[in-house]
Amino acid sequence: MTVATTDGQAGSALERSGSSSSLADVVETVLDKGVVIDAQISVAVVGIQLLEINARVVVASVETYLRFAQAVDRLDITPRNQKGLPDLVEGASGAVGAGKAAAGLGKTVGAIGGAVRDAVGELGSDGDRDRARPRRRRRNEEYDDE
Amino acid sequence: MSEQDGLFLYGIVPSDVEPTPGTPGVGDPPGEVTVVRQGPVAALVSEVTPDAAVGRPADLTTYQMLLDGTAAVAPVLPVRFGTVVAGPGAVRELLDAQGDRFAAELDELEGRVQYVVHGRYDEPELIRRVLDDNPAAATLADQVRGQPEGVTREQRIRLGEYISRAVELRRDAESRELLDALAPLAVSGAHRPPSHELDAANVAFLVDADREDEFVDAVEEFAEQRRGLVRMRLLGPLAPYDFTSADRVAR
Repeated sequence: MTVATTDGQAGSALERSGSSSSLADVVETVLDKGVVIDAQISVAVVGIQLLEINARVVVASVETYLRFAQAVDRLDITPRNQKGLPDLVEGASGAVGAGKAAAGLGKTVGAIGGAVRDAVGELGSDGDRDRARPRRRRRNEEYDDE
Repeated sequence: MSEQDGLFLYGIVPSDVEPTPGTPGVGDPPGEVTVVRQGPVAALVSEVTPDAAVGRPADLTTYQMLLDGTAAVAPVLPVRFGTVVAGPGAVRELLDAQGDRFAAELDELEGRVQYVVHGRYDEPELIRRVLDDNPAAATLADQVRGQPEGVTREQRIRLGEYISRAVELRRDAESRELLDALAPLAVSGAHRPPSHELDAANVAFLVDADREDEFVDAVEEFAEQRRGLVRMRLLGPLAPYDFTSADRVAR
């Protein structure tokens, strides 16, 4: 019904991001993943607070329900069976929706970032991450020998 | 390194991998990323002081960029973030004990990278569709619209519950469709838990490098079919965070 009218973009419907597009992505991508090493040889395992953040689960609650109901309030009241005008309206509301989605994501990032900072009592700016953009290379000349 | 210093462990790689000299690791000040080799495998490490507050956002990003950068040129097994071991001796001990297993897993990962496909519903569009599909919810919506929350609390909770359940059902269906659509182009796929109440899908895929273009095209098509309803994002190429057997604790 509203295919390709809601965001008004002619480009791809898919957003691409490589490594480390946002702190929220980084947290979600890497935390609580990977090989676990036996505690017997580990002298320390840091970042426990971070692992707890990742354990947050999306649980529906009354708060969630009321928030959804508020979203219904914000929805344009358009007769559901009319065509023509609704397309226009939906185009406009789509733009608003996109703005909201972006704002919502920003909040998530802020919340997680805050939690991480609180956990370790330190503040890292996002600009810091450009500091380390490591490159790797394979020593092909040795590859055959090993 | 002093005796109290530890080695932060990033990942396990074949022993023919070597970091670019001067690559900074985690911590402040950061240690240089180096490699500890033992037989056919090696570990990417950097020195950290025992009281180092490793776990800043910048540290997470450093960790991920190092692993993703490595995955682009060589297979790598990520080691769980925050693992610090006693020193090069302990690392060699670990590599010696687990070398065969690590080598076998690295063989499996050769020429493969991870992608994450993440979709989030556009809230107004989603709610519009839920109300269209569900007369009971639409009736409730009519009752609460424009009314103060205090007066319509009961209806609001019921309405919100309808929407919430509808999202869960749609998410399950969406995730299955995504996995079905892309499985033929991937080595394997793994569901990730939703990270937001409006999540439509969150699935990790292990992809052969020579099928990356095909895979990305298929994701584009999947996204195109949901344009306006789902904001689809493709993260990657990444290190195989979701495809290491992390459940098997290294002993």
